[in-house]
Amino acid sequence: MSLSDRSRVNLSRALVVTGLVLYIPSNVMPVMTMSIIGKVDPLTVLGGVRELYDSGLALIAGVVFLASFILPLAKLLALAWVLFLHGSPKLRRERCKVFKIVHAIGSWSMIDIFLLAVLAAVGQLGALASVTAEPGCLVFAVVLLCSLIAAEIYKPRLIWEGV
Amino acid sequence: MLHIPERSFQPPFALSLTGLFLLILANFIPILNFEVVGKSQADFMITGVIELWRQGYFFISLLVLFCAIIAPAVFLFCAFYLGFALALRMRPPGLALVSRVALAVRPWNLIPVYSIATVVAVVKLRMLGEVTWQPGARFVLAVAVMSVLCEQFSNRQIAYERLKELGVNIVE
Repeated sequence: MSLSDRSRVNLSRALVVTGLVLYIPSNVMPVMTMSIIGKVDPLTVLGGVRELYDSGLALIAGVVFLASFILPLAKLLALAWVLFLHGSPKLRRERCKVFKIVHAIGSWSMIDIFLLAVLAAVGQLGALASVTAEPGCLVFAVVLLCSLIAAEIYKPRLIWEGV
Repeated sequence: MLHIPERSFQPPFALSLTGLFLLILANFIPILNFEVVGKSQADFMITGVIELWRQGYFFISLLVLFCAIIAPAVFLFCAFYLGFALALRMRPPGLALVSRVALAVRPWNLIPVYSIATVVAVVKLRMLGEVTWQPGARFVLAVAVMSVLCEQFSNRQIAYERLKELGVNIVE
């Protein structure tokens, strides 16, 4: 099955809008709960970054902050800009560059989902230590998938063809 | 007509074959071990998928399974199959299908992101208990490196040209 060019543009727009709408809930809702020797700690994406920063791990905190917080938003806003100007002859070269950058680096935002998988895997020591996923991780994953699929569906050639 | 250097397809072929072997090892050897007050747990790549499934997060579990295990395996297999066919100028069955699958699955091969996530997880777990790296972690990192190198050494234009010579037309 192949999508028509118009469907590609419309579907990408719908996914970007969905991603932007869900971006705030994905950062407000906890993605996981860590429980270590009776201390229960629900963590949001930013809460995890703050925890790393407070522990003196500024570099790792910076990487996670960029990958999990800045990158998904930047990707969605960049895609929104590219799709908003779709069909217009303005800034075609710049849009193409932005789209290629977004396409190349976008998948790094999945770091938080993999982090959850690794933590959930080892954190199953009963009352001593446990890591459980929270509904926020579903919303976060949907935001990431919206941006990833939108970038896959929209093709750079559509910037030049402008259907 | 594009000139195709004779050895263009050998690096991706060798890297994907190595990557496939390493991926098997990465999946069957523990990545890390976490210990709190004398009680420990080993982590395999699949353990997180199983645990998220057990907690009822089927969608996240399948997403991790696909992006960290299935997509890298399919991508490396396709790269190996294509590299083999293109280097030897052969047209084995399903070459067009494999080419299309390779293109479709490439963006979902997120094993390099998984390897970085493992490092972050270790840093985080060290704040809570004792973590020791297990040999599987080296294989995960090695698969990630092979995968990235395989993509870097694959020249899509040259591959299209050789596929055309073999009578396979791929439209992106």
